[in-house]
Formats: sequence, C-alpha cells, structure tokens
Amino acid sequence: MSAAEPTSGATGTAPAREWRRVHPITPVVRGWAAIAVLLFVLGQQAIESLEYAGEVVDGVTRVWWLAVLVVLVVLAVIFGVSALAWRMTSYAVDDDAAHLRKGILFRQQRHARLDRLQAVDVRQPLLARLFGLAELTLEVAGGSDSGVVIGFLRLDDAKQLRAELLARAAGVRARRAGGTVPSPAGSSPVGIAADGGPAGPDVATEPSPAATGPVVAEVPPPAEEAPENLVYEVPPGRLVVSLLRLPAVWVALAVLVALVVFVLVTRAVGVLVSMLPVAFGVATFLFNRFAGEFGFRAAISPDGIRLRHGLLETRAQTIPPGRVQALELTQGFWWRGKDWWRIKVNVAGYGGEEQNATQNVLLPVGPRSEAMAALWLVLPDLGAEDATELLDEALTGEARTDRFFTTSPRRARLLDPISWRRNGFAVADRALLLRGGRLTRRLSVVPHERTQSLGLVQGPWQRRRGLTTFAVHSTPGPVTTRAHHLDTPDAQHLLAEQSVRARAARSHQTPERWMERVAPLARPAAPGDGPEDSP
Amino acid sequence: MTHPASGPADPFDPPDVTWDRVSPRLVPARLVVVGFWLGLPLLVCLVLALAVTGWLWIPAAVCALLLLWIGLLVPRQVRAIGYAERDDDLLIRKGILFRELVVVPYGRMQFVDVTAGPLDRRLNIATVQLHTASASTDAEIPGLTPDEAERLRDRLTARGEARLAGL
Repeated sequence: MSAAEPTSGATGTAPAREWRRVHPITPVVRGWAAIAVLLFVLGQQAIESLEYAGEVVDGVTRVWWLAVLVVLVVLAVIFGVSALAWRMTSYAVDDDAAHLRKGILFRQQRHARLDRLQAVDVRQPLLARLFGLAELTLEVAGGSDSGVVIGFLRLDDAKQLRAELLARAAGVRARRAGGTVPSPAGSSPVGIAADGGPAGPDVATEPSPAATGPVVAEVPPPAEEAPENLVYEVPPGRLVVSLLRLPAVWVALAVLVALVVFVLVTRAVGVLVSMLPVAFGVATFLFNRFAGEFGFRAAISPDGIRLRHGLLETRAQTIPPGRVQALELTQGFWWRGKDWWRIKVNVAGYGGEEQNATQNVLLPVGPRSEAMAALWLVLPDLGAEDATELLDEALTGEARTDRFFTTSPRRARLLDPISWRRNGFAVADRALLLRGGRLTRRLSVVPHERTQSLGLVQGPWQRRRGLTTFAVHSTPGPVTTRAHHLDTPDAQHLLAEQSVRARAARSHQTPERWMERVAPLARPAAPGDGPEDSP
Repeated sequence: MTHPASGPADPFDPPDVTWDRVSPRLVPARLVVVGFWLGLPLLVCLVLALAVTGWLWIPAAVCALLLLWIGLLVPRQVRAIGYAERDDDLLIRKGILFRELVVVPYGRMQFVDVTAGPLDRRLNIATVQLHTASASTDAEIPGLTPDEAERLRDRLTARGEARLAGL
C-alpha cells in the first residue's frame, strides 16, 4: 500500500485531482427544514405586523415595507451564506483517495483512502428525489462519522461517481494521459487495466510516455456502471405481513386492547392519553421499517453486492466483495410457519446504531431459499462438504439431532433453560457458525479471515458448572458473535483452533484492490499479477 | 482436558503460556480511586451520623463494608491480570469472579494507546491499550511500568506491521 503517497506523481501529468463542485441546489435540499421554519416564522411576523399596520392607519406603508425589507435581507443573508458554503465545498477523486473540502470559517479537508473503502451508498431523501439529486456516502472503516459525504449531485453524476470510485477502489487505474480508448468489454465494470506487474502499481502513474504505450487497455475516465444480476426482491405484501407477525406488534396490540377495555370499564380516559407515546413509538417503528425496507432488491455485480430500498428516502448501497464482516440470520417466533428469515450484516463504517438499521439489512424478510441466496452473495463457498445439511441444522436443528454442531452440555440447563439445546457452534472451512436462540432462532456466520480478535468469558456460575462463553469480536454492527455456555474444554479448543484458522485465512485473503487480482484472469496477455495487499 | 470443572483444564491458564504480570503499584492506584469515591461518602455519613441522626450509621456501615471488601479484592484482581506475547497474538486475561481471556492477533491491530493519568504518573505506571477494528475487543493492560509500556508498544507496533492484514 505504498501507493498512498506517490499520488503527487499522478497529479503532475494530468489534472488527476480536479476539484469538482456539488450541485447548486444542495443548500436548499439540505437545509429545507430550517428554511421552511424560517419562512413560516417570518410569514407569521409579517402577517402580525400587517394587522398591526392595519390598526395604525398612518404607518401602514412604512411598517409593511419594513417587514418586506426584513424578509428580503434575511433571505439575502441565507442565500449569501449558502452560496458561499456551496462555493467552498468541493470534492475530487484520484487513484488513491477521495477528497472533500468544505466549511466557511472552519475549513475541513477529508481524504478517504480508496483501498480502505468499505461501501458506497447513494442516498436520495424525498426532496432530493423531486429535484433528481442524490447524495453519495463513502464508508471507510473509521467509526460512525468517518465517511465522506458528497452531495448533492445529479443522480446520473452520483452513479457515475460511484462507478468511478468502485473501479478505482478495486485497483483499476484511470489514466487520463490519453491514448486510444477501447471500450470495456465483458462482464468487468470497466476495461481492466492490469497494471499490477512486478514493478508495482506506481509505475502506472508515472508521467513517462511509456505508460501510455503498453498494450493494456486504457480506461476512459467515465467509468461505466457495472452490469448487475438481480438475486432477490421483497414484495411489499410480504413485508407488511412480516411486520404484522412481529411479536412487538402483538404485544402492543394486546396492551392497547387491554387499555381500551380498562378505559371502557373505569371511564378514566386519562390513561389512554398517557399511553399515546408508546403507541406512537410502535407506529413509528413499524412505519420506519416499512418505509426503509420497502421495495428491497438485492443484486450482484462485479462491483459487489447492490442493495436498493426505501419508500420516501431511497438508498442504493454497494458493498464490494469481502467487505461483509459477519452476518446473522434471525427468525422470530411468528415467522416460523412461513420459514421466513431476516439477515443483518456487519460492515465496517456502517456502525451499529439503531437508526442505521436499514443500512445493515441484507434481507428484510424472505423464505429460506432467498436467505440462502443472500448468504451465498456474501460467502459463495462456505467450505463444507454438505453445506445444505449443515445450514439446515444451523437454522433449525438442535442438540438432539445435531451432526455438525457442538452444543452446550446438559449442565447449562439451569443457566439457560430455554435455548441451551440451540447454543452451539460449527466450523466450516471458510467460516465459523454460531447458533443460538430457541424462540427467536439465530445463526451468525463469521468468515475466518474477518475475525478481529477472540475471547472467552466465564462467570462464577459458569465456572461451577464447567461452562465458558466463547466470543468472536467483529466490527461494530448488529450481529451477535457469541456462543454461550459451551463446555469449557470445547471453548478452549475452539479458541486455540480458531486463532490458527483465522491466521491462515488472513494470510491469503482477498486483497483490498480485488480487481488487481482478477485482472490477470480477465486479460491473460497482461504480465503477472501483483497481490498488492497480502503481507 | 477431561476435567470440566476446574483444575488442570483451566481455559484461562493455558499450560504452554507464561504470563507476564503487571506492576503491584496498580493496587494503590486503584485503591486511591476507590478510597476517594467510597471514603468521602463514608466520612460525610459518619460526621452526619454523629451530628444529626443515628440512621446514617447504616449507609456508613455499607460504605465501610464495601471499602473493606474492595480493599481485599483489588490486590487479588491485580494479581489476576496477565498478558503474554505469543508469536502471532497477544493474550490478555483478567478477573477472578468474572474471568476474561482475549486473544488479539498482531495483524489485526489498528493502533496502540499508551495512557497515564496524573495518579498513574506519580506511581510510575501506564496503561497500554490495543485497538482492533472491533469495538468489543477489550485489550487493555493496566499497571505497566513506563519502560515496559514503551517496550510493549514498540514491539506490538513492529509485529503488527510485519503481519499487517486488511480489515
């Protein structure tokens, strides 16, 4: 990854880092709420002063003009500040990083290294959709506020930029030095410039004319959107039914009915009013989930996994290959009849906060076949001989019928009376499977090469019963990565073996710039591959 | 490894690992903090109990008992903290009642923090904390001598670079 600094070499030849501006309507879209409130308040003031003016016959014209003047001045100031803010905001993309600078008084300049790119989201809030604008978020693995937000842009420009970012993050280098531009062919997102080579990627960015000479394909600056294949989509009907089958809804409904009866009997209406916030909360939750996951569709493309969803605010996510750190399949009790599953994922940079819930969803609700398809999107190969049987057991199996899973011993019965038969783990060649939950079934899958660190935890009761909880630490997100109450020797072995397995998997994991590895396969004429990131 | 209960198969004490212990000066460091937060209420309760009402003997006694218990516990807790540098990962263990063992591969390390508060500096100790991309990795080694902390930091950084992996 020594390519981070020599960027300047590229800037020398062509305007590799050309600063671009966001769309001029951006301040309106971003600050529409504030502007609306301001206009409302001002309007009210104006009307009040009008009435006042009507009373004072003499000063009618003067006060009226004063109000208009105030409105105009405030609008002018807002306009001026937004125009300035807009002028000061610009972004640029070069081979190694995306740059954003903004701020009027406090200037902020942010570089996001593309080899650390975890996901690219194109978000369209409602108002932006009316204008045909979109906001682009680059997630890098640096915590919840580390992403680079570029917006707003015209939707086409945003898509274009996304394609460009993904292509460059994948290791495809755009060369503006000229030369013939053969159109990209095949299923690759752009013509793959296999510039890995033994000499390393720096050679490609060299200003020397030789760089334009070789036979390798030149990449046209406008990178093309990679073609995609739809894998599954969630019809609205299923989403509604799945929401109605959530236990929370039934609990809320039961409470509501009980309350209504209570109120009818005692005629104390005040109780009903006091319950309003709770009802409002449940309704908000349901609506947010419905609106957030409406029209969910997942597709696979060479860029990675593409997710698109949203009713009012739409979001198109692209998660490059190998960026999913862990995933979890859950099945609530009422989904059992339909055999529906929900899948959430950990992606570094998305974080795990509740309001981001829609970002972490890989499959809002779907039958087992779709859940398997989603799992396959993330992990094409689980590395098990009979993966189907393993997964069946992982999803619905329990201790008495297990073949692959190691579960809690009977001693755990007292500590976890309900789900001790489900708690367990199984190891496949590529991933670790952690199973748990009996009423709400849960299965977590952590690829070995995505293991961060491992841990054992043991409380006093567990120690007396010879039990230990095993944990895999993953990047922040909604996935539970613990196997509770394992037999202590089992946990100990798992810890030892898993750290060896994770190390082995890490040493030949996919490089960050995945296309550089794919490139030689795509164009056999290119000289050897340069596995850039493996140590 | 057939004895599930305790003894030789203790998973928090693998046989092939020799633990490095932290400095015993961590005991006073922790006791001062606890003494402040429990001793102050204890004093207030005592004074008020003598001056105002006898009821305040109860919270005073609770504070005193807690203080005594923690005073006995802290030295054992500090003795229970251990770390071991293995070829490819760092092991950290802690806790007596609730025990924890963390295995952090060097290649997964994102950055290392060395911190020392005013009290720590006075007692000549420092804390080294390893951060991975996971927030749940609790890899903190308190109570190291500054020299050891520095050595560990450099060593970890060097090993991390040698085994660097992506995310």
